[in-house]
Amino acid sequence: MSEAEVQAQPGVLTRVPMSRREFLYYLWGVSMALFMAEAGGALVWFALPRFREGEFGGVFSVPVEQVPAADADPGEFPAGRFWLVNLGEASVTDPRQPQDYPMAGGVRAIYKVCTHLGCLYRWVPVNERFECPCHGSKFLRSGTRIDGPARRNLDTFLIQAVDEAGTVLAESEQDPETSEARSLELPPSTVALRIDTGDRVRGGPNSKPGGGR
Amino acid sequence: MALFRLHLPLLDEIKAKGVRRALTDKADDVVTRVTAGLNIREVRGVLRDDAPARPNPRLKPHAEGFWLHMKPTYYHNLVDGLYPTFRLGWLSTFFFAFEILTGVFLMFYYTPSPLVAYEDMLNLLSNVPFGRLMRDLHKLGAEVMVAVVALHMLRTFVTGSYKKPRQFTWATGVILLGVTVVLSFSGYLLPWDQLSLWAVTIGASMFEAIPPEVVGRAVNLIVRGAPEIGAGGLLRFYLLHIIGLPLVGILALGVHYYKVILHGHSLPPEAEEVGVDTAKRVPMDRRTYFMPQILTRELFYVAGLTAILVGAAAFFYHAPLEPHADTLVTPLHTTAPWYFLWVQGMLKLGDKVLWGLIVPGVMTGLLLVLPYIEVGPSRRYADRRVGLSIGALSVAVLAVLSYMGTPWYAVQTSADQEAIAELVPQTHPGPLRLAPWDDLVVGTYEAGQWQNAPNATLQELLRIFQEGVERVESPERTSPSGVIVIEDWQNGLRKITLRVLWTETATGRPGENSQSVYLHRDSGYGQGE
Repeated sequence: MSEAEVQAQPGVLTRVPMSRREFLYYLWGVSMALFMAEAGGALVWFALPRFREGEFGGVFSVPVEQVPAADADPGEFPAGRFWLVNLGEASVTDPRQPQDYPMAGGVRAIYKVCTHLGCLYRWVPVNERFECPCHGSKFLRSGTRIDGPARRNLDTFLIQAVDEAGTVLAESEQDPETSEARSLELPPSTVALRIDTGDRVRGGPNSKPGGGR
Repeated sequence: MALFRLHLPLLDEIKAKGVRRALTDKADDVVTRVTAGLNIREVRGVLRDDAPARPNPRLKPHAEGFWLHMKPTYYHNLVDGLYPTFRLGWLSTFFFAFEILTGVFLMFYYTPSPLVAYEDMLNLLSNVPFGRLMRDLHKLGAEVMVAVVALHMLRTFVTGSYKKPRQFTWATGVILLGVTVVLSFSGYLLPWDQLSLWAVTIGASMFEAIPPEVVGRAVNLIVRGAPEIGAGGLLRFYLLHIIGLPLVGILALGVHYYKVILHGHSLPPEAEEVGVDTAKRVPMDRRTYFMPQILTRELFYVAGLTAILVGAAAFFYHAPLEPHADTLVTPLHTTAPWYFLWVQGMLKLGDKVLWGLIVPGVMTGLLLVLPYIEVGPSRRYADRRVGLSIGALSVAVLAVLSYMGTPWYAVQTSADQEAIAELVPQTHPGPLRLAPWDDLVVGTYEAGQWQNAPNATLQELLRIFQEGVERVESPERTSPSGVIVIEDWQNGLRKITLRVLWTETATGRPGENSQSVYLHRDSGYGQGE
């Protein structure tokens, strides 16, 4: 009969000193738990898929003839997973454009995937906006969210405008205030656009009904 | 000296008792071993429904055999009828077994690779004898199983059967509900069609939303097997579907069943106080023994249900197969499976972390610990008005959220696109593709003049089109009209163009939206019917 049982009486809490054997059991238990945690970590590492960073991006060159005209329906580039939009006067002055995200005229390259849950949104000409078929997020031509459960604007890629010789004439830059890519006015002698899809610019936070930070 | 000695005791017995007697004894012995305790006379007694001897030999198979130790030896008379169990727990187990069986057969013809998975489906549907039936049975069983398990939980809640001493039985039941739903959902990806890809993409993106970002990213990669769902993701979902979840399910089911036997079936609320262990105190005159009544009944259920399922899958229900998975197009009106529509509905409400993770997580957590926090002392309906009202309210809320998950809520696109999508939807074949090929007579048809179309099929298609086209009418767009053009394109191939036309009010200029589909004589959208 062990010490604990001898001392135990109904209704009386007795303090039983920890024996060396008991202590070693706890120590062993803790080390087993630690080992299992390490093994779990190793398994997570094992299960993480191997791929090269940036494997799914690349530099795409789009001839200037394929860039949509100002305020025309956006052009889709499935291979690069982006849309090219050309913001003209009508898009810049669009009353639906949220005040937090003023847009200048020019070309933007917008990542094809909805910022909500990864579906591919579509351009709906009659409504003049992008609409996501999964949960109904809505984005303007500029990529700015105006409605639905998405909580930020569409992601974009930076654009370089190059001439015949391949010299970079102009490139879009990130707005320091919104951290979004600015639209790029194409210089007249532009022959092609160069779009690096390995480097994605996150859309700014936008969660108000009707759009807004 | 022999190296080994072959000894047949039967020969000794024949020598001692004579052939006839020795063989009958041997047969008796074999039957006793196979049934784990019943000899021939006792088996016949079961079949004749004679009163059992004392002590009851029919209890032996429960104590000594593996299969029946999972079944109670007798039921209380009060749970013998349909009420209060409605057999829902039994049904859940039946469907679990049914799904394993049909699933293993389907694995004969399936390879989990994006290169061949869809082809395997087509082969199964068109080339394998009873292949389509097997697939329909598996899918139908899965859908019914989700409903049955959910109803089982609802029933357990309503009758208060989760209360002491059955709290842990309830908790394992919640785990089993989770396993059932995720099993059903993980099977979605395997055919590698559009439905699969996008349902699972949304599911995986929800994992990606787990904060902090580094955890979400890792979980998302582990689930998808790559930044995008592809070969790796399909294999992972396959393994989850055929090994991971069934294993968890079998373990949880074992614990669940053991607890049911330990505590007995809960009696109707008015017949049992909270905290009473029915199994240990059922009076002799209130017992319905497993053998023969319950056993016979359950065998009959298995036969009857299988017949119903086969009949339903053969004549009424066909598992859908959408076009091949396309990572570049999300189909319009993509929806989650019906049992996840409530999540899709919530996701439309706003923040994905809140509505996609926190709220469903809290709901599941509450469900899991319900019996430990709701400890009201009575199971009677009259004493549980608040609890039952909350239960009814929850069901109503789930129903509303499920409606919000459908395409009718917040994802309707422009009227001209909807008008076309009604005839040629992107998620299922739809009326035009299912129309008899011979009825699609070459010509140009105005939707407004649908009555003049040459046959009933075309009239119906044009009428549906016209209804959709009329919805284009708005302050911005006036005088909408619809045209369907059917052309012979190649031998046995027709091009059908759906065109919606209108006038822009602001500019007075015409607007147009059109879409073409190609239908082959043998494209078989009617799926061979």
